[in-house]
Amino acid sequence: MQHGFKLLDAEHDIGLSRAREGYRLHLNQGDERIEIPVSLIQGEEGDWVLNVNGEVDHISLALDGDDVFIHLDGEVYQLTFEHALQRLAEMSAGAAADNVKATMPGSLVSVAVAEGDHVKTGQTLLVMESMKMETTIVSPRDGVVQSIQFTPGQTFDKDAVLITLEPEAEE
Amino acid sequence: MSSHMTTIDTSSWPFDTVLVANRGEIAARILRTIKALGLKGAVVYHSADRKTPALAIADQAVEITGETPVAAYLDAAQILAAARQVGAGAIHPGYGFLSENADFCRAVTDAGIAFVGPTPEQIELMGDKVRARAFVEKAGFPVAPSAIEDDDPATFLERARALPLPLLIKPAAGGGGKGMRVVREADQLESEIERARSEGQRYFGDGRLYVEKFIENPRHIEVQVLGDAHGNVVHLFERECSVQRRFQKIVEETPSPALDEKLRNEICETAAGIARSAGYRNAGTVEFIFGESGGEAEFYFLETNTRLQVEHPVTEEITGKDLVAEQLRIAAGEKLGYEQQDITASGHAIEFRIYAEDAAAGFTPTTGPVLRWKVPTGEGIRMDDGIVEGGAVTAAFDPMLAKLVIRGADREEARARADAALRDLALLGCKTNTAFLRRLLNHPAFIAGDVHTGFLDANPDIAAEPELSEATLHKLLATAALTNRPMRDNADLTPDLHAAIGHWNN
Repeated sequence: MQHGFKLLDAEHDIGLSRAREGYRLHLNQGDERIEIPVSLIQGEEGDWVLNVNGEVDHISLALDGDDVFIHLDGEVYQLTFEHALQRLAEMSAGAAADNVKATMPGSLVSVAVAEGDHVKTGQTLLVMESMKMETTIVSPRDGVVQSIQFTPGQTFDKDAVLITLEPEAEE
Repeated sequence: MSSHMTTIDTSSWPFDTVLVANRGEIAARILRTIKALGLKGAVVYHSADRKTPALAIADQAVEITGETPVAAYLDAAQILAAARQVGAGAIHPGYGFLSENADFCRAVTDAGIAFVGPTPEQIELMGDKVRARAFVEKAGFPVAPSAIEDDDPATFLERARALPLPLLIKPAAGGGGKGMRVVREADQLESEIERARSEGQRYFGDGRLYVEKFIENPRHIEVQVLGDAHGNVVHLFERECSVQRRFQKIVEETPSPALDEKLRNEICETAAGIARSAGYRNAGTVEFIFGESGGEAEFYFLETNTRLQVEHPVTEEITGKDLVAEQLRIAAGEKLGYEQQDITASGHAIEFRIYAEDAAAGFTPTTGPVLRWKVPTGEGIRMDDGIVEGGAVTAAFDPMLAKLVIRGADREEARARADAALRDLALLGCKTNTAFLRRLLNHPAFIAGDVHTGFLDANPDIAAEPELSEATLHKLLATAALTNRPMRDNADLTPDLHAAIGHWNN
């Protein structure tokens, strides 16, 4: 069974199987599929002892839904488990352009359009503020504003849907 | 510092309860001193901050509300009502929010409550960059060549054009680097002025500007001062705050690697002189821009901050003075009780601001849950933090989460301790700048103490995400797989026999 994890915007297909001791990690290296002996055992105070190919590291980790956060050698990494169905859906996604998303967390300064407005590509939809700087969000295509999710002053996280455009009519 | 605390007798003070009108790490830090002095500590909080250290430390907490969480902390009326509710005889505003708001200061004082800060008049004078600058110049201290709009708005552009390029445009009411713009081409001056004006208007409700000589590769050096209500002023040496991104400080240290004894004395005495001229009361900071032209060191007055600074702990670490305790003593009407020569410094201290941000993505803020917050411990390590496990980092507030303050016998020892501490420090759930800070403190220029305010822009490789090694990638994927329930269950269901045969796939 193959599973996918996203790390730093790259996807990795991996598998896991039982070994006599511990487990085996299956992964791609170049064009080859390789296997590496791995194990992870609980250490002290919520930390873990990771063994990969005989190399031992003391790591900290935390799970949150599909996210796993790993503190390894002074750096924290985030990996996200990709559900098979979700990966399939994203591959055939045509709806992405209907949602105008926040490229970074911030707050809404002003909205330049109203629901039902016809907008053109590049037209200013709203102004958001992040890092004490204002960013103008423009329409990615011609269309009609279906809904506006936030009001000025409200804050949002990265990737929050700010404005939804009506789906484009089928040709 | 604790030994110093026990010598402070608060029994004759006009207040026994202090309300902290702030949040995060600074609210927690101020409350610790209030409690150590044997006083009662109260804090106001927005519901978004319910799970923060300040609430755990405070004897009383009063919820305040607002259209946004930030608006709640800017609501003077609610804060005054909270002060009355808890019987607070003093309000400590921390930094940011209402700390340099003269109207708030006046309202607090009028309510018969001690404002832990300067007088409203001093905020009006020193908090306004333009007025402060004019005052400092008149008092005979060095300021950079500049054009001030207020002097004569009609000729502002003309006077700005007459200054030597490059120029720096600043909002008169500004702070934190907001609305500041560098102009290198004469034909861009007018449009940049308009942009700076609209930003100033938006952020501060005040579009007035000034333009000054921009010093190339300048250092930011500031001096801590303390003044009491009886006219006594001392300085507590300098802090170097040159490592900045977007005009905001990231790393601060003391002593400054740029100063020799003569220059240190000169700049510190200048700061104390400025504070003395203003009859300054409270802890304050006099900021200077420091540069070199023609091999000669030059420094100009930049601005005064009439409050406790974010980076005050490095001064505390080398002088042994608790600045919050000193602020409270001054607010209680006590005399400083010591002279300049009584203030000594030893060792070296460096502060690292821990930000929720992605350095490689242009220092953009990050958000997420605080699943795990690993705080380093050890000799010379001080952590002033404002988050707890189970809480969350949101976009509602400034992304500064904590300050790691490291002390060493000398700069090199402090740097080595910082490297180890930053390696152990981890926030799981939200990306922070700790790995970036480690790359920074191991950079040859930082090791040499050779930094300036444009240092990070000139060295983008420090912020860039390093290439992931194959070994690290394998470790991460192994951990991800081994902690993933479906993958582990799936593997455990497979008979050992199959696994033992090897080359099993799918």
